[in-house]
Amino acid sequence: MIRRLWQGLRAYFALLVVIAVFAWSAIYIRLHRTQESPPGTTTLRLGHWQLETSVRDAFNTLAAEYEKTHPGVRIVQDAVPESTYGQWVSTQLMGGTAPDIMELSLGLPYQIWLSYYNRYFVPMTPYVNRPNPYNVGTDLEGVPLRNTYKDGMRTSYIDEMQEYINIPLAQFGVRIFYNRDLLRRLTGLEQAPLEYRAFLDVCRRIGEQKDPQGRNYIAIAGSAYHVGMWESMMADPLTYGGLKRVDFNRDGVAGNDETFVAFKSGRVDLHYPPYAAKFKMMWELTEHFQTGYTGLTRDEAVMLFAQQRAVFMSTGTWDARSLQQQAKGRFDIGVMEFPMPTKDDPEFGPFMQGRVYERPQSGFPFGVTRTSQHVDLAIDFLLFLASKKQNQHLNQIIGWIPAIQGTEMDPLLKAFEPHLVGVYSGMNLQLGGETWIKWMQVYSLFQVRQITFEQLIAAFEPFYKERGLLDFLEIQKDWRRGMQINEQFLAGIRARALAVANPASPDWVKYRALTASRMVMPEIDHAGQMRLVEKGPAPDAVGPYEYSSNVLARVKARLTAERR
Amino acid sequence: MKRLLPSFLSIFLSACALTGCVHKAAVGTPAEQLATAWSDYRLGEFSSAQVGFEGVVAGAKPGSGPHLQGLYGLATTWNLRRPGEDTGKAATLYRELLRLAPTNDLAAWSQLALARLQHLVPVGEEPDYPAVRKAYQEVIDRFPQHLAGEEAFIYQQSTYLLNRDNKAEAREALEALQRFVQTHAGSRFLNPAYNVMGAAHRMLGEPDAAVACMVKAFETTEADADNPSQEFAGTYWSIAATAEFEAGDFASARKFYKRLIAEYPVDQRVQGARDALTRMDAVEAGLRGGSNVVAAAGGIAP
Repeated sequence: MIRRLWQGLRAYFALLVVIAVFAWSAIYIRLHRTQESPPGTTTLRLGHWQLETSVRDAFNTLAAEYEKTHPGVRIVQDAVPESTYGQWVSTQLMGGTAPDIMELSLGLPYQIWLSYYNRYFVPMTPYVNRPNPYNVGTDLEGVPLRNTYKDGMRTSYIDEMQEYINIPLAQFGVRIFYNRDLLRRLTGLEQAPLEYRAFLDVCRRIGEQKDPQGRNYIAIAGSAYHVGMWESMMADPLTYGGLKRVDFNRDGVAGNDETFVAFKSGRVDLHYPPYAAKFKMMWELTEHFQTGYTGLTRDEAVMLFAQQRAVFMSTGTWDARSLQQQAKGRFDIGVMEFPMPTKDDPEFGPFMQGRVYERPQSGFPFGVTRTSQHVDLAIDFLLFLASKKQNQHLNQIIGWIPAIQGTEMDPLLKAFEPHLVGVYSGMNLQLGGETWIKWMQVYSLFQVRQITFEQLIAAFEPFYKERGLLDFLEIQKDWRRGMQINEQFLAGIRARALAVANPASPDWVKYRALTASRMVMPEIDHAGQMRLVEKGPAPDAVGPYEYSSNVLARVKARLTAERR
Repeated sequence: MKRLLPSFLSIFLSACALTGCVHKAAVGTPAEQLATAWSDYRLGEFSSAQVGFEGVVAGAKPGSGPHLQGLYGLATTWNLRRPGEDTGKAATLYRELLRLAPTNDLAAWSQLALARLQHLVPVGEEPDYPAVRKAYQEVIDRFPQHLAGEEAFIYQQSTYLLNRDNKAEAREALEALQRFVQTHAGSRFLNPAYNVMGAAHRMLGEPDAAVACMVKAFETTEADADNPSQEFAGTYWSIAATAEFEAGDFASARKFYKRLIAEYPVDQRVQGARDALTRMDAVEAGLRGGSNVVAAAGGIAP
């Protein structure tokens, strides 16, 4: 009998192990869930990738406040590491086991997120034009939800779906953090200079001094992650004047296709003064980064800063609290604007049109899943977090910038107040394909000072103009594919509109607005651009923001007519 | 028994797996089935949408409302699904609808879809524009007062502006559009009509008229109140810049730069608009004084 049992066990051992593990998991999960959500309570699960202690503390605090006014509701967090967030989201959504509320847009390509928004998330559109009930008693009482946001909830609107899909909870910014004590010790300065030349001088003085181990101090802790911040905040604004020659469709933005057309047709090149200025500044700045910084990661730069071997480091609000905690009791942290040249700077002054423009954009976005058993409650909790008082409180604990108007920031973040008027890049070389790979290769060499600006130009510009044509034509194919996708999308909107007889209904308005903006005019603009690439500009043509003699004659004629 | 166990397990697991593959049977009224099928279409679940529309077509009386709606949905799915499109099948279904109900609302949209099929050719091919225009003309002739007919007209005229060197075609389109805005004062396609007219005027070197059309286009825009990306900052900038740099009409340019600054104070173009106001003052001062400060003030940046 025992022998037969033993034989049976041996024969089905693997199967029995699987059954046992399954049973153990089921019992464990059941017990765990019961502990989290005792009978009689409604549990809202909230999934996100913010492992920072302050974020989890903030959610716990706000959840406790919400639970006070909503007895029987429990809010539980699922904090998942960034590196596995994409896979976790996919399995949870497809398996129908997703949390009620999820943080969106990390770890997967945009198109995948788009398909998930479509299939698995509840549109927020019906809520954005209604007042947030949790703003009662504040100056935002009665104000539609989207108008309570600093950015008007622009980032929540998914163009492809024509729906609002998330509720964002914070804003972010990038500035320079610096070690006040080290700066004082090495330079005698209490404050870091905000003028570009003075800043470079301070960097030079820091780099000349040695630490107790005899190593030179590093002025700027850099890495592949950080260099882009210096570039976009300091050097890119110098290229703003490039718009004058490249913004052919006069939308105020330099497109990658427009930049290519301008290079190809000879209207600009990398020697064009506003562009050359950018590279000159990058050359001067990167001299003060540590050697080989492009091969280092973000953490390595942070380590250098935390060990007090470097004085300056650029980073965003997302790191503010953790840097503050790392420095606590060891050194004093300051936050400063990126230094800028003055208008009378001999090299950069002529291209200094202003500080970099920082678009007010909300992030930290959360959506409610369709599989949630408590959709209304989940939305209500998000509205609670997005109310003026609670959003301020949430961000105060985390150390981020609130997304709601009229809220106050942590004093450390005052320097993060965004520049709402300013300039931006007037050059866009990201044509994709081989051209972009080539650019990344040669620009990396330039960043680590292995090649000069002239060598960069020699290695890139001829390649860009020749090979870029193929990449440009590939973009044009994408454009045509995009037209087909637009047609598919519009048919869906039209079907919804057809159910309504009134041609003034919102669905019909949306249909016609999108038909005009996505289908009719883009084809005409596109044809004009293709002609410019194929035939080049007319010999006497001026740039899109340059006066021709003919136009000046017209202005003069109008002035004369007015005088009469 | 021992031998049979793996077979039982296999059958059991296969059955479990297959249950996930079976399409859900159509349920509900035809209206509900249509709504579900369109929802599937919008979510990109084209196979489910196709099954849904086929179910409605099979279950409805030929020529009835649900039948026509099912046919239209099915044709649209075959036309626009990616991947797996079958434009031949789509065209057959659109024509079937036109045959069954030639004056129905959906017949107009089907006729337009047949024209769009010729216009939106696969990547790598060029549309046969004379044939495309002819197809649009059929929609216009058959449904002159219908929204689909007006849409077809706009698309048709826009094709005449695709060859920048053919001024005669641009002139022809411009005249047709001018007649359209005069005879269709209540049309809901006035905004794209004026926009296309503006483009035609620019091609023909008539900047004052181009600016006037851009302004009319702005005035006839139907606002999609829900869409935050449909705002007018870009429109203001575009009108102002065209007025400044093509027409030399500084009064219009100032008006729209100022509107941009006042109505969209945190738009990225605000700095450019402020600079433009200063620049135009400098240019006028230079011209009044007869000096040559104009060159220094030219453009967005020195």
